[in-house]
Amino acid sequence: MEVSDKKQSKGKLIASGIIPFAFLIVLVVYIFGPGSDVLDLGVPLPEITMEKIDFLDSEIQVTVRNTGPIPVVIAMADINDRIQPAAVEPDGFLERYETALVRIPFAWNEAEPYRIGLTIEDGTRFEKEVEAAAPALQPTLELVGFFALIGTYVGIIPVMVGLLWLPFIKKISKNKYHFFLALTAGLLLFLGIDSIEEALEISEENLAGSFNGVLLVTTVIVLSFLGLYYAGEKLVKKAVSSTASSRLSKPIAVALMIAIGIGLHNFGEGLAIGAAVGIGSIAFSTFLIVGFALHNTTEGIAIAGPLSRGKGLVGKALIGKLVALGLIAGSPVIFGAWIGGFVYSPFTTVIFLAVGAGAIFQVIITIMRWIREEGDKNFSSGAVVTGFAAGMLIMYLTSILV
Amino acid sequence: MNKTRSKIILTSLTVIIAISALYVTFPETINAQLEGNIFATHSGGTITTTGVVIDPVYTTTTDPEYTEATVEFDPMEYLREFNYGTVSTLPDGTTLREFTIIAEDDQIMEVSPGIFFNVWTFNGTVPGPTIRATEGDIVRINFINNGAKSHTMHFHGIHPAEMDGVFEIVGGGGGQFTYEFEAGPVGVHPYHCHVMPLEEHIVRGLYGVFIVDPKEGRPAADEMVMVLNGLDMDFDGENNFYAANTIPFYYQNNPIQINTDELVRIYVVNMVEFDPINNLHLHGNLYNYYPTGTSLVPSTFTDMITLSQTERGIMEFQYEFPGKYLFHAHKVEFSEKGWVGIFQVTDNSEDKKLAEKIDHGS
Repeated sequence: MEVSDKKQSKGKLIASGIIPFAFLIVLVVYIFGPGSDVLDLGVPLPEITMEKIDFLDSEIQVTVRNTGPIPVVIAMADINDRIQPAAVEPDGFLERYETALVRIPFAWNEAEPYRIGLTIEDGTRFEKEVEAAAPALQPTLELVGFFALIGTYVGIIPVMVGLLWLPFIKKISKNKYHFFLALTAGLLLFLGIDSIEEALEISEENLAGSFNGVLLVTTVIVLSFLGLYYAGEKLVKKAVSSTASSRLSKPIAVALMIAIGIGLHNFGEGLAIGAAVGIGSIAFSTFLIVGFALHNTTEGIAIAGPLSRGKGLVGKALIGKLVALGLIAGSPVIFGAWIGGFVYSPFTTVIFLAVGAGAIFQVIITIMRWIREEGDKNFSSGAVVTGFAAGMLIMYLTSILV
Repeated sequence: MNKTRSKIILTSLTVIIAISALYVTFPETINAQLEGNIFATHSGGTITTTGVVIDPVYTTTTDPEYTEATVEFDPMEYLREFNYGTVSTLPDGTTLREFTIIAEDDQIMEVSPGIFFNVWTFNGTVPGPTIRATEGDIVRINFINNGAKSHTMHFHGIHPAEMDGVFEIVGGGGGQFTYEFEAGPVGVHPYHCHVMPLEEHIVRGLYGVFIVDPKEGRPAADEMVMVLNGLDMDFDGENNFYAANTIPFYYQNNPIQINTDELVRIYVVNMVEFDPINNLHLHGNLYNYYPTGTSLVPSTFTDMITLSQTERGIMEFQYEFPGKYLFHAHKVEFSEKGWVGIFQVTDNSEDKKLAEKIDHGS
C-alpha cells in the first residue's frame, strides 16, 4: 500500500515537472506553426559577418557567416568597393548561422590595406577592412618549429625562470611569504582582466552581435570557474585526506591548480600570438618576445608561492615536479600558437580566453584561501596589501613592453 | 574516493558537452563537394570552384519559380527601341502623337544577377520608354499613376507652365493627367518625375529619354539610346552600381553588334545622381559630339565627354577596323562598378546593301 502510494506520488512529481514543459512546447509550436504570422511585426534586417579573410596566391578568401535573423543569399563580391567576379562555396544561400567560403581571384599586394565587400540579394553591402594583407600561413614544418620556438621563449623558459625563485621564497619569514602569495594573487588578477579584455576585443571585432559577445565571455568564464572550482576542491581534499607519504600534498595540489589555470591562460595567449602573426597584424620582433618573456616570468613566481611551504620536497622529486608544473603552465603557448596561426577562428579564441580567465579567478580564490588559512585569518595585513598592489603594478609595467 | 572521481568525470563531461553544444549551434566547418566549375576573372585568370560562381552576367526572367523580380528588362532591346506613339493627323495637318505612360512604385527588378531592388517605373522599366517625335508634332501623354505615392512627368524642353509636371501633382492609386505640348526644341532631352523628395523619385527609376527629330531628319544611322544611371542599393547617398541602361556590365557581357563604315548615332543622357559628373570614353575611335542635340553641327570631335546631371548629347562615329572596342566611364570607379560595355565591330562591307535597307527614321 505504502509502496504504491510512493510510486503514485513519484508519478505525480514527474508529471508536475513535465506539464509546464509541455505547455512551453505547445506555445513554441504555435508561434512557429503554419499560418501564425500574427506575431510578424517589424522588418527583420539581414546581417552577415566576415569572420576570417585569407590572402592566398592571387586570391582572397572570405569566411562569411549569416548572423542575422533571416536567411540571405550572397550575390556579389567587391574589393575596395570595386565589383569582382567570385565564387561562393558550397553556395550563396545561407541559413541562420550557416557559413560559406567566398573566393575572389585578385592580384593583391602584400602589406597594403584592403576593404572586402559582400552584397546580398537585397542589395545590402557589408564590408570588412584588413589593415595589411599578408599571405595566409601554411603549416610547414619550418613554421611549426618557429611557433614552437616562440612558445618556448615566451612560455616555458620564463615560467621555469620564475620557478627558480622557489629556494628564495622558501627561506623567507612568514610575513614576507604572505607578501609573495598576495603578489601572486595580484599578478593573476591582472592576467584575468587581461584575458577578459582580449576576449571582448576579439568578439567585438570579429564576432557578430548575435553571438552576444559580452554574455558569451561571461558565461564561459563562470562555467570554467565553477568547473575548476569543483575539481580543485576535490583535488585539494584528496591531497589532505591522503597520508603524508602520498605524492600529492596540499601545497602541490594548490600549485598544480595554479599551473593549470595559468596554462589555460597561456593557451589563449598563444592563440593570440599565432593569430597575430597569421593575420599579419604584428611583426613579431625580438622586442616583443622579450616583453612577453618578462611578463610571463611572473607566472613562475605565482606557482612557486604555495609550493615553497611543501614539506619534505627536496632533491630530484622536487625538480621533477617543478619541471612538470612549468610545462603545464608554459607549453600551452606552443599549442595555442599552432592553432592560432594555422586554423584561426575568432570564436575558438574567445572561448579559450574566457576559459583561461575563469581558471585564473578560480586560482585567485584558492590562493586567497591559502593566505587566510596560513595567516591570521585576515587580508588587511601590510604584507598582503602591499603584495597584492605590487603584483598588479609589476604586471602593468611589464605589459607595457608587450 | 570512487564517488569523488566519478563526480569529477561527470563535471568535466558536462563542461565538454556544454562547449561542444556551442559549436553545434555555431558550426565552423564548410561542406564542399568535389566536382569543380571553372570561371574566368576580369583579368583573364581562371579559378576552379566547387561552389557557385557569382559574376554579374545578367539574364532576364520574371518567372516566379526562379525569381522574385516583376520587371522584365532587356537592355539590348531597350538600346534600339524608339516609341513614336499612336499617330493621327489633326484638322490643321499637324501630326499628333499619343502615348500612355503608367507610373508604378512597387516593382521588383533584378538589377544585377541575384540582386533585387524595389524600383519605381514608367511603363514597368528603368529607364522608362524612349519617347520620340518630330519638331512641331503635338505630343499628348495620358499619364496614369498606379503607384502608392504621388508622381508626375516633367519634360525638359519648351512648353506651357501647366504642362511642366511640377505643381500639378498626380495622386497615386489611379490619378490621371494629360500632358500636351508641341515637340521642341530639336535634340535629346530627359523626362522624369518631379515630386519631392526629388532625388528619391529620380534615383528610384522614374526617368526616360525624349528625342525630338529635326523636320529634315538626320542622316541614316544605327541609332541607340544610352541612359547613364546609377543605383543606390543601401540608401546611403552613394551609388553602388553604375551602368549604361541600368544593368551593370551588361554590354560588356553582351557586346553591342555594329558594322564597319556604318554611321552609329548614340543619344546619351546622364541621369546619375549623387556623383557630380559622369563621362563616356570611346576606344579606338573619336566621335562627333552634338551637345543636347540642338544643333546639327557638331561642337567637337573627341573620344571623351564629361556630363553633369541631366546633361546630354548626341555622339556620331563609325569604325574603320573590325574588332572589339570598349566604351566606358573614364571615371574608372564607375566602370569598375558596371558602367562599361563593348562594341563588337564586324566587317560587313559585302552586306552594305542590307545595312542600308534597315529603316531607322520615322
